[in-house]
Amino acid sequence: MRLVRWQGLVPLVLLLLLVVLFWLLFGDRVVRETASEAATKALGTQVDIATLEVREGESSIELRGLAIADPFDLRRNLIAAERIRVELDAGPLLEKKLIIRRLAIGGVRLGTSRAEPARRVDDNGFAATTMRNVREWVATYRHPVLALTPIDTIRQIVLDPTQLGTVRAATALAARADSVRGALEGGWRALELRTVFDSSEALVRRLAGANPRTLGLDGTRRALTDIRRAVRQIDETKDRVEALHRDARAGIAVLDTGLSSLNEARRADYAFARGLLKIPSLEGPDIGGALFGPVTLDRYQRVVYWAELAQRYMPPGLRPHARDGPERLRAAGATVAFPRARQRPDFHLQAGELDFVLPSGAARGEFVARLSDLTTAPALVGRPMRFSARRDAAGTGIGDLQVAGLIDHTAGRVRDSVSAVGTGIALPGFALPGLPLRVEPGTGTSRLDFVRGGDRVAARWTIRAADVRWLPDSARTRTLNPLESLVARVVAGLRDLEVTANLTGDIHSPSISISSNLDRTVAARVREVAGEEIARAEARARAAVDSIVNERVAPVRARVTEVRAESERRIEEARARLAEERQRLQAQLETLTGGLPLPRG
Amino acid sequence: MLTLLKLLQSLIKALHSEGTPAQVAAGVALGAALGLTPLVNLHNLLIVALILVLNVSIGGALLGWALFLPLGFLLDPLFHRLGRQLLLDTPALTPIWTSWFNSPVLPYTNFNNTIVLGSLVAWLALWLPIFFAARYGVTRYRATLGERVRQSRFYQAVTASKAYNVYSWFRPD
Repeated sequence: MRLVRWQGLVPLVLLLLLVVLFWLLFGDRVVRETASEAATKALGTQVDIATLEVREGESSIELRGLAIADPFDLRRNLIAAERIRVELDAGPLLEKKLIIRRLAIGGVRLGTSRAEPARRVDDNGFAATTMRNVREWVATYRHPVLALTPIDTIRQIVLDPTQLGTVRAATALAARADSVRGALEGGWRALELRTVFDSSEALVRRLAGANPRTLGLDGTRRALTDIRRAVRQIDETKDRVEALHRDARAGIAVLDTGLSSLNEARRADYAFARGLLKIPSLEGPDIGGALFGPVTLDRYQRVVYWAELAQRYMPPGLRPHARDGPERLRAAGATVAFPRARQRPDFHLQAGELDFVLPSGAARGEFVARLSDLTTAPALVGRPMRFSARRDAAGTGIGDLQVAGLIDHTAGRVRDSVSAVGTGIALPGFALPGLPLRVEPGTGTSRLDFVRGGDRVAARWTIRAADVRWLPDSARTRTLNPLESLVARVVAGLRDLEVTANLTGDIHSPSISISSNLDRTVAARVREVAGEEIARAEARARAAVDSIVNERVAPVRARVTEVRAESERRIEEARARLAEERQRLQAQLETLTGGLPLPRG
Repeated sequence: MLTLLKLLQSLIKALHSEGTPAQVAAGVALGAALGLTPLVNLHNLLIVALILVLNVSIGGALLGWALFLPLGFLLDPLFHRLGRQLLLDTPALTPIWTSWFNSPVLPYTNFNNTIVLGSLVAWLALWLPIFFAARYGVTRYRATLGERVRQSRFYQAVTASKAYNVYSWFRPD
């Protein structure tokens, strides 16, 4: 029997020819679909490519009709490009590494409407998960909304005791007090004081009036031994009483802490009750946050989303890192990259540039954008990724717009920074929450600075405009209550607008502070008109909380006091009685020994 | 339809008379690689080449593929864990993977995918048990059910097809 079947080479060659033929006929399509699918998954938003042509002879790829949907607005494209030319280094392809020497993008348009909304990328991939996390964070970030409830409608609130944290804490504290009391009771029983005292009393009674002459030598020796044993028992019991005293003090200290926390819980309950009344805050930061919080969060969540993707796809260091595997019928698994020093990264865009024109909108004009060193292994490239975009508006009088950024993941700690500055530009308008008004800032200055070091961020967004218009928002038109009318009148009278939003802290949950020139004006006017009524409403809210809380808390306080008092009383009684018994035994001993001191232990 | 018929013929013939039980078993063991591991990968091109060039039963290989394909889908979570263990959680192997990852051609095998590596390693570990089990199974089949199936009209009809002739070119000696 032969081991090799040489005629098998024929179908093998045919199979290889078939593969080549398939590549020639469908290769472009396969690459296009794979690229579109991979980009969609990586960016977490739909990426369409109309045509793709692989030019093997030139080591280049020509794409047409690229459209990347805006992950935050599926009806718009973040970027659409008519043609893209990708020039590759042929050598690294042998190692399955994509080194792009040059990327040229032409016919770029930003923010165009899509004919059909993009499909939502809703899987468990990193981008989709990041998007969900960002949205969840924004949803949970409840900046105090400017609640403009008519003051004259604030009458009374009905509180459910179970809603109050103080009531829950008091119930828990009562149970803890019972538990401490039970433990102490057990400790007292375990001391068996009665037995100790009875035994001592019986001994003292037995030896009353006795002396060495009546007891004799043996009797005296036995009596001394019994007395010493009884004294030792008294001393041991005293030690146990002191130990129990320490335990009691520790238990009562816990109860005291619980009592203190009731005060904090009550303050939280005041805030909760105040929230139910929807009393407008008169604090500047609250008003600023209420008016400009949503628009700030909208900008911030975009920055965070892209920063998180950059962190994921451009990891610092040279450790192996896993990404989601390719889509296929079988499970995708994870694909691991193993970067090595002095080798090429598996993806590196060395230089890219795009020129584009925005015919209309806030950022209209001719733009030049550049990008360098976008890579999946920054530590291998050794240079941070840089990008910049600049509007060439010389002589047009439409202001300057510059965006610059640096993504530095070359070292162990990521350092990202982005700065976008627009001066003399038409600022985009936005809706004012709580009021059916739209702010049209007109021409002004806007600046966004974002710095990330590790997981810490510091971001600042400012807008300044000198000719602001406040337009009715037709989609939200309704009859305003007196307080809303007042605020609407106040803001509508303002022509200047200056908003500063600061975000600092952990990238996933930064603290936000927003201030604007509206804050002081609105707060002052609301305070003038409705300050007293608001103060009365707040007092009513506190009274409503107090009426429930006092009823629940007073018995708990009494119980804790009782546990403390009872514990101290019993300890003092036990100490006194033990001292008394020891003294009586000591006297008896002295009688029998003629004044010799009693050894301890 | 013709392809299905050919497949059916090759399976039946493989079980009955085409080649020794060892040749059929070797085909089944090689075909199992196509079923257990994700198909469109470079290593499977090598497997197909081996099936065609080595004197093993092609019908057996098709049988192995068909039998192990559903098993591959079922075991993907296990392959993922095995692949992850080898790629990420075994530091001693990292230098090998790093070297392969930075070598020409090897990255195209997708060895750095947890499913591909896990399933390939599983197949390599199971190759011999599959071979011996298949050889035992074919021997037992031929000794017991084989003759009765050979006498059946179904068998006669299938083997009478002209299309079978194409397959016979690659019949093991």
